Amino acid sequence: MSKETPQENSELIGRLREPATCRAAFNEVMKLYSEPLYWQIRRMVQSHDDASDILQNTFLKAWQSIDQFRGDARLSTWLHKIAINESLTHLARERKRLSVSLDDEEGRMADLIEADEWTDGEALAKELRKAVATLPEKQRLVFNMKYFDDMKYEQISEILGTTVGALKASYHLATRKIEAYFAARQ
Amino acid sequence: MCFKNNEMRKESDILEKAGRRDGMTVPEGFFESFAEQMASRLPENPAAERPAVLRPKTTWQRLRPYVYMAAMFAGIWCMLKMFTMMTPSAGVDLSIENNKVLSSALSDEHFIYDYINDDISSREVWEEMYEDSIDVEEVISDDALLAEPASGIED
Repeated sequence: MSKETPQENSELIGRLREPATCRAAFNEVMKLYSEPLYWQIRRMVQSHDDASDILQNTFLKAWQSIDQFRGDARLSTWLHKIAINESLTHLARERKRLSVSLDDEEGRMADLIEADEWTDGEALAKELRKAVATLPEKQRLVFNMKYFDDMKYEQISEILGTTVGALKASYHLATRKIEAYFAARQ
Repeated sequence: MCFKNNEMRKESDILEKAGRRDGMTVPEGFFESFAEQMASRLPENPAAERPAVLRPKTTWQRLRPYVYMAAMFAGIWCMLKMFTMMTPSAGVDLSIENNKVLSSALSDEHFIYDYINDDISSREVWEEMYEDSIDVEEVISDDALLAEPASGIED
């Protein structure tokens, strides 16, 4: 299962701009990016079904605004931004729907992880997911992109619009919190 | 949040043990079928899929720049013409001697005399005399006084 972001393809971007070839090129984009985007979304919302729905919305939004993509930013950066926005919007909507405050979000996430049927059942991995779920949303994003996706700080900086220094600090803090989470359970 | 070095090492080991794995899985063939399903669900996107159609230009659209240019040149020509008319040219002599009508009129003594005195009536002379407190009747009765000014005055 590859979780790496595909390399940028300038030829693909060129075909996305051509009316005659843009639909076929976008189908290719979906094949290339559905997996990395799915994992990014899934790690934020935990549930497979929710992640699948959000991934659909992400590609629909990208398709509807494909004519506005000028190629100034990398295609992967643009798609990741849409996916993150969709994920955060979904989480906020769910909190509102279930009348859950930000403080209680941790418990809701833990319940989702426990109820998730699409796991390999490894206890340490599950516990790590719960630990990550205790982080604030922005820190969780940074940790997921750095730890699980092994992205460079520069690329995370492009996606989140945060300086590399702030990202390093955020990742360091997130690591400390996760370590503290495990320390508290030993 | 303070940790001793050995504690930090131990806790970092936990992240290493996890090996960047989150234990999440997906149904088999999910990504392959997802891309195919999405491809069939994508709605029309006219902005991206339809090429920009260039409509043929109308006659007016084709002629418009030339008409505007012609109007601009005509305006400039009119302005230059007006400035030329307002500014006396060096080659044209506007002196009275060069104007036949004016010079013949000014050389005619009768014309000047008539021009200067034609509109003076005896009534106006009398009024002026009255204002100067001169007794008009006394002047009229005095032939000697009346003889000279009366020669240039007409009723």
